[in-house]
Amino acid sequence: MTGAPPIVEMTGISISFPGVKALDAVDFRLFPGEVHTLMGENGAGKSTLIKALTGVYKIDEGRILVAGEERHFGGTADAQAAGIATVYQEVNLCANLSIGENVMLGHEVRGPFGINWKATHRAAAEVLATLGLEQLDLRRPLDTLSLAIQQLVAISRAMVTRPKVLILDEPTSSLDANEVANLFTVIRRLRDQGVAILFVTHFLDQVYAISDRITVLRNGGFVGEYPTRELDRTTLISKMIGKDFATLRSLGSERQSHHYEPRGEPLLRTEDLGRKGSSEPTDLELHKGEVLGLAGLLGSGRTELARLLYGADKPDSGTVWLRGKKTDIHSPTAALAHRIAFSSENRRDEGVIRDLTVRENLVLAVQAKRGWFRPLSRKEQDALVRKYLTELNVRPADPERPIKLLSGGNQQKVLLGRWLATEPDLLILDEPTRGIDVGAKAEIQAAVAALAAKGVAVVFISSELEEVVRLSDRIIVMKDHRKLAELENGPHVTAETIVAVIADEGDDEEGDSE
Amino acid sequence: MTDVASRLAAKRGAIVRNQAFWGVVAIVLLLAINVISDPGYLSIGYNSETGHLSGNLIDILRASAPILMIAVGMCLVVATGGIDLSVGSIMVVAGAVSMELLSSMDGTTGDAVLTLAVALGIATALGAVNGVLVSVVGLQPFISTLVMMLAGRGIAKVITGGQNTTADNDSFAWLANGYIVGVPVVFLLAIVIVVLVALLVRRSALGLMLEAIGMDSRASRLAGVKRRNLQLTVYSASGLLAGIAGVFATASVMTVDVSRTGYQLELDAILAVVIGGTSLAGGKFSIGGAVIGGLLIATLDKTVVFLGIPASATPAFKAIVIVVLCLLQSERVRSLFRHRRALRAQSQKEAVAA
Amino acid sequence: MRSIPRVARAFAVTGALALGLAACGGGDDDTSTSGDGGGDLVTVGFVAVGPEGGWRQANEANVQDTFTEEAGFELKYAPATNLDQRSQIDAFTSFVDEGVDVILLSATEGAGWEDSLRRAQEAEIPVILVDRGIEPDDNSLYVTRIAPDNYEVSTSVAQWAVSQFPDGGNYFVLEGPAGVSVVNERNKGWDDTVSSVPGLVKVGAQTANWSTEEAKSVFETVLRANNNDIQLVFAQNDEMGLGAAIAVEEAGLTPGVDVKIATIDGTRPALEALGEGRLSFVAEYNPLFGETLLEVVNQVLDGEEVEPYIVVPSETFDSPEAATAALPSRQY
Repeated sequence: MTGAPPIVEMTGISISFPGVKALDAVDFRLFPGEVHTLMGENGAGKSTLIKALTGVYKIDEGRILVAGEERHFGGTADAQAAGIATVYQEVNLCANLSIGENVMLGHEVRGPFGINWKATHRAAAEVLATLGLEQLDLRRPLDTLSLAIQQLVAISRAMVTRPKVLILDEPTSSLDANEVANLFTVIRRLRDQGVAILFVTHFLDQVYAISDRITVLRNGGFVGEYPTRELDRTTLISKMIGKDFATLRSLGSERQSHHYEPRGEPLLRTEDLGRKGSSEPTDLELHKGEVLGLAGLLGSGRTELARLLYGADKPDSGTVWLRGKKTDIHSPTAALAHRIAFSSENRRDEGVIRDLTVRENLVLAVQAKRGWFRPLSRKEQDALVRKYLTELNVRPADPERPIKLLSGGNQQKVLLGRWLATEPDLLILDEPTRGIDVGAKAEIQAAVAALAAKGVAVVFISSELEEVVRLSDRIIVMKDHRKLAELENGPHVTAETIVAVIADEGDDEEGDSE
Repeated sequence: MTDVASRLAAKRGAIVRNQAFWGVVAIVLLLAINVISDPGYLSIGYNSETGHLSGNLIDILRASAPILMIAVGMCLVVATGGIDLSVGSIMVVAGAVSMELLSSMDGTTGDAVLTLAVALGIATALGAVNGVLVSVVGLQPFISTLVMMLAGRGIAKVITGGQNTTADNDSFAWLANGYIVGVPVVFLLAIVIVVLVALLVRRSALGLMLEAIGMDSRASRLAGVKRRNLQLTVYSASGLLAGIAGVFATASVMTVDVSRTGYQLELDAILAVVIGGTSLAGGKFSIGGAVIGGLLIATLDKTVVFLGIPASATPAFKAIVIVVLCLLQSERVRSLFRHRRALRAQSQKEAVAA
Repeated sequence: MRSIPRVARAFAVTGALALGLAACGGGDDDTSTSGDGGGDLVTVGFVAVGPEGGWRQANEANVQDTFTEEAGFELKYAPATNLDQRSQIDAFTSFVDEGVDVILLSATEGAGWEDSLRRAQEAEIPVILVDRGIEPDDNSLYVTRIAPDNYEVSTSVAQWAVSQFPDGGNYFVLEGPAGVSVVNERNKGWDDTVSSVPGLVKVGAQTANWSTEEAKSVFETVLRANNNDIQLVFAQNDEMGLGAAIAVEEAGLTPGVDVKIATIDGTRPALEALGEGRLSFVAEYNPLFGETLLEVVNQVLDGEEVEPYIVVPSETFDSPEAATAALPSRQY
């Protein structure tokens, strides 16, 4: 931050993909010992810029200087050798290997008889210790851990080579507040050691908590570089998206002042619904047109409860009444037939089918519901696709594009379209706004509000308490796989209210890491 | 001008990237080699003795019919991310059932129809057993169908009492050896069946569902795709198609050879599917590609005989053709070639400049 | 209605599969041991070929019918899985480990038996080769080989061919799988005689793996490649000869007139075809030598010396009449 020359200096970087200018004359500087946040909506070019730096993409124009020398890397491995390590948004680890093996993968300590596992594990332990994760059992297989811990393991893995530049592409998107604080401690320690940290996130609070400087991109173009303390939130957001912020604000206040009076028979009622080991017996009620928020920390049992409601996991206790009738929902197929839809928190593995097109992804659930022998005609498909691509503002609105080429936010919108196309009476959304940009988030929240207004019952799950509070009519607070409290939402309820409920209950317990 | 040229180039790129394209190239090359060895190779004559069209191409079409059947079945199974190693054994079971039944009957057309129904019924049932093992019991496809591959040949031996059974039934033999307006019945049947399957898969949503399962079975389950039913359907269909292949193979000589009929044909089927550009990892599949793969294998088999390649060198010859083909299909190898071409062009340019 | 019960059996097997496959993993219970066998029975391990064709069927049934408990033997019959040598070596090894009194071996492939045979020698278990020889033919590794002489049989076919085509002609050979000793021996017997006749021209040889279906497919292409200009086919077994006959008929030619087909084995379907004129010559390769085998086994067990190669005599059939005369008494 002082007079030191930048470790990374990119000037006039342009990259074109067929039909799109992904980056247009972007400048970017990164100094040793700073945390520099890259901000912008999805599709603004943040990931492209990172990939240009690490050599995954070839740049068409511009110069990249690393430590004063012009460099063009051949890929992440090449970049890593030059001291630039990257941790991507989606965890890319080997689920069947242990934590220690994952951390040291490719950097195992070798002895005269092949890999020296003892030394390897010792090295892994050291790395984990610098991240404050020494409590983790190195020999535990990765797939037994929550996404959050996996993310921390991924970061530990990047630290093995002691890089001079650490790129963190949305590392916090699946972490809870505790874990984020933990991570920030480590980031600050690294910064103080002189590591330059490039940080990408969507959480404004985190930007202000950790970063020294901000570079804002919009639509592949360079908006500006600002010291964090000179840029207030409203300005930052308006620089990123300009117009959408006001909508988001008004939506929040509108929903919260809206008070839902349940009338008549509930759409869904459960009694002692539970499953051993994942969900304690739970009672809940849900009415038409109501948004029910499920709040709680990661691992509190929100997802597990939602999966039971959808039949994604089989409940082993309790009863479900749907529209007043006792109903057995034993599989997703059955749930869809009863007009229940569920959008999983795990967009990559349980949501989109990456190699199918936007159209195919969107019609999949409707088609599955009809059975394969009653195909939707091309015309019907086109009508559905056009309807939801427009309604949800999916960009690009090209139905024949493989969905993997869309940004996370747009993938999420297509998924929402998939479930809406089944015309559900009950829609369960598990973390629908995780890891997507503010604009797409606002659009999805608006869509949820519109659905409720049309009489659809919505179960809304999010780690972002503000969001739950903004959207829900009623909030169920969960902890340790059980329902802790049920709150009527209203102007008096805030995120702090919910935190207080969780904290009061859990004074005597240790931190919930899973 | 340049716009048109670049669009043409883009189109050409798409065709070259289409893996089945290389299968077609290989067929054309093999035929060309045969033509060099005998300029009359491609001629199709009219045999006045028998009243049929005859020629090497007709022979290839006839020989390809059983492979086409099992390749199409395999293609559907592979799309779901599975594999069916039992097709060769189901072929021999269908053949054994046919020959045993026919050898005890009088040789009427009615007998042939009845036999066909029973043989195909049993083949479908064996396929369904595979389907149940995979979808309901949850065994790995490789293991379930491997068991069926071993058991199937055992069943065939039980049916024929270990012998190679021979039978007489002109209607049944007609399926494999007959001609309609000069064209072999067996090839017409094969093409009709392939087209029917392709229409069924692509006009209904079956194709999409199979691909969804093959690409991401968890996501498709949550989307309400009925994995079990679909797996049961494809393995049964693969059994049925293998049964048809078994009928074709045995009807051509009206003999079932319990240790040779359909022996190792599952490998040919897998090869045909892969040549056709369907990944064994599941997902996107191409029935047209599998057909090209099947035709290529038949052409290869016939070429080996036509050129009189010594028996001991035959496997090596087939292996070389297939390895070269797979290399050409590999994106990495192709980009290597492109790279070298570019380098050469560049060095030429530099040479000119200098 | 002979076969209906078999089909019914198949249904039963299919049903049992559906129920039991998941659990058991499909055992192959072809290995039939003759039950309780008292201590005084002589144990004979028979490493056999298994289903391959009519000839083999007759041969192995004949051996099984000879070494009965009444005759004082317990025969352990172990056929190969799909003609795979690996499965034969496994069976052989387990017979050595069990310590049977004698091993009978019909090898699916000639090469690769040295180690197994040495193990048997170390265990002092005499090995008698039945029909198929081994390569290289090291007769210190086994006691004796009992077989019809392939060389002699194929020589008899060749002599017939030479007499039929005094003016020469084009011929084609349908072989068994490459590398099998039978194939080599039958090739040698044929070539040694035919090569001395300049008019007989070999247009080619291909394997059809002993199979009718493959022989038909191969020969139809061979006819095309040679514009039907082939007068003689030497098929190394009956099944392939029958396949060639079908290919000849489909090409619009008449077997026996345009193309003469000679085969080796002498199974019933081949003799029937000979009777109809579709085949022209069938050389028997006599499978029924169980009695001779029994004598030899007894001699070996008594410690007597035996010849290293015992030839089983075979007949030839060169006319429809000869075939018709032989058919009623044909057992295989």
